[in-house]
Amino acid sequence: MTSLGIIIGVTSVILLTSIGNGLKKYVTDQFDSLGANSIFISPGRVFNDNGGFSQSGAIMTTSFSLKDVTNLKRKLDNVEITPANGVFVDISSPFNTQKSIEIDGSTQNFGINNNLAPSEGNGRWFTEEENSKKTPVIILGYQLAQDLFPNSSALGKKVIVKGKTLKVIGVSDKKGSSFGGPSFDKQGYIPLNVAFDLAGNNDIQSIIVKAKNKDSIESTKKQITKIMLEKYDEDAFSVFDSSQLLSSINSIISVLTISLTGIAAISLVVGGIGIMNIMLVSVTERTREIGLRKAIGAYPRAILIQFLIEAVILSCIGGTTGILLGYLGTLAIKSFFPAQVTISSVILAFGVSSLVGIIFGVAPARKASKLSPIEALRYE
Amino acid sequence: MTKLLSPNNRNIILELKNITKTYTTGTNSFNALDGINLKIYEGEFISITGPSGSGKSTLMHIIGLLDNPTSGEVNLNGRNIAKLKEHQLAQIRNVTLGFVFQQFNLLAKTSSLENVLLPLLYSDVPKRDRQKIGLDLLAKVGLQDKTNNTPAQLSGGQQQRVAIARALVNNPKIILADEPTGNLDSKSGEDVMKFFHQLNEKEGRTIVFVTHDMDLAKEANRTIIIKDGKILEEKHA
Ligand SMILES: Nc1ncnc2c1ncn2[C@@H]1O[C@H](COP(=O)(O)OP(=O)(O)OP(=O)(O)O)[C@@H](O)[C@H]1O
Ligand SMILES: [Mg+2]
Repeated sequence: MTSLGIIIGVTSVILLTSIGNGLKKYVTDQFDSLGANSIFISPGRVFNDNGGFSQSGAIMTTSFSLKDVTNLKRKLDNVEITPANGVFVDISSPFNTQKSIEIDGSTQNFGINNNLAPSEGNGRWFTEEENSKKTPVIILGYQLAQDLFPNSSALGKKVIVKGKTLKVIGVSDKKGSSFGGPSFDKQGYIPLNVAFDLAGNNDIQSIIVKAKNKDSIESTKKQITKIMLEKYDEDAFSVFDSSQLLSSINSIISVLTISLTGIAAISLVVGGIGIMNIMLVSVTERTREIGLRKAIGAYPRAILIQFLIEAVILSCIGGTTGILLGYLGTLAIKSFFPAQVTISSVILAFGVSSLVGIIFGVAPARKASKLSPIEALRYE
Repeated sequence: MTKLLSPNNRNIILELKNITKTYTTGTNSFNALDGINLKIYEGEFISITGPSGSGKSTLMHIIGLLDNPTSGEVNLNGRNIAKLKEHQLAQIRNVTLGFVFQQFNLLAKTSSLENVLLPLLYSDVPKRDRQKIGLDLLAKVGLQDKTNNTPAQLSGGQQQRVAIARALVNNPKIILADEPTGNLDSKSGEDVMKFFHQLNEKEGRTIVFVTHDMDLAKEANRTIIIKDGKILEEKHA
């Protein structure tokens, strides 16, 4: 009963910080899967001067063309360049229609770089030949394949996009869902030239340049910027790598974690007040007990030690139960939301609640031990 | 010990000099004790009597070093207790004094045996001896079959006997009992008095007890009658 406040406090702190940290780790992992050493060229300004996302970044004013790609290919050595073009379209199978699905047009290496190439038995990625010949083929994301063909394999079937029939030649492996952003599982992938036909223009929305290695990222970025500036305004494009993207995402997540921790702190305070209340309610009873113990010869230190031990035990029981509940809760949440218990949240929650428990357990005892035995015995 | 009943030639074990105790409630102040002078000699058997509210319990608490007088001096074995440190007082309460409260003051949720053993927690009696001491004392007060009962599972008289056993557990030189027979039938009351006589005569312990019963009061060597916080009369047997 006395431990209840501690249990609630510890549990909520652990749960909330677990969610925050899980989210952070999830996003980090997602960006890692974008591939190391990748440099992205994107229209518009993606980052503001402070390293956060620019507000106008989402509106893509310019787009690139195949000329830019060939230009880059010519001027940069030893890099792999992948253009990408995404369109949002409705896609139909004989069974149903999925609305506003993102279909990315790209080249052969896009599938390899993003780990999207189907594993054995699930078909294959398209070839460069299929791209240049505009062969109408499509690779479906794991979820999209299931949605379109609920009861059978999608492989080898036909889907219709904007009146054009595409043959499903592969189904990507399950990637998991992402938050806010697009899910790889709900996308389709087609050759770039097929995408140009679907979009009705030859625009390229982003170009991915794979640097040779980590050390060459910065120099490659500089080169790219120089090349792009020949044709575009400074504000018309952005060149960034995944680590840059990651750090801005992380700064957002940190804000999220801090606010979650704030909520946790509030629950700690509430829990603390709960502990305090229960401890103070029993002060009368405790004061009488202390009076009696003094009357029969307890020395002040013995009384303090007794109440300290009691408070510590109560706090430990409460704290451990709270940690356990928080951990179990995190496990439960994990099945539909990324969550991860962190040591620091455990220490923080346990520390603060124990401290409150101990202070409010011992303070009245300390006060009572200063009264004369009879005063303490008659306390009300 | 000699069978000498007169306190002459004996050591003064406890002395009260001009003790007052004033309670202030709101703006009213009230003298529960008003200029008490009292010498208690080693081995004495003293009864204190007087009307309800006359200050008997207040006086007993001061004798038992459980409360501080508003003014005056308490000397134990010739030492002014005001000069003693808190842990020294605690040790005196633990070893030298055994106090039986009018309201028993047993720990609830705690068995008779544990209640009796409580003072030993703060003494240097070896752990392995404690259980036996407690059981022997409970048997002496006739509660050998109630050792595991909590106070709530005992009658008033039985609780009183647990309180007496607890007061005796450290073999105190001075036993202070505030109405030790108040809740007992006359047979059990006599048993307790016999027990006290034995402790006084055979073991030479000093005993001070409060009672309303004039017949019981007369069993002591000396009877002190209190009224309105003052000693009205002292009678020697
Ligand atoms: N804490 C207190 N605050 C105020 N007045 C008190 C307090 N304790 C005792 N008194 C008063 O002091 C007086 C003496 O009380 P005490 O308990 O010593 O009487 P008593 O002689 O033991 O009575 P009884 O025979 O009923 O036990 C009473 O009038 C009582 O109201
Ligand atoms: Mg009384």
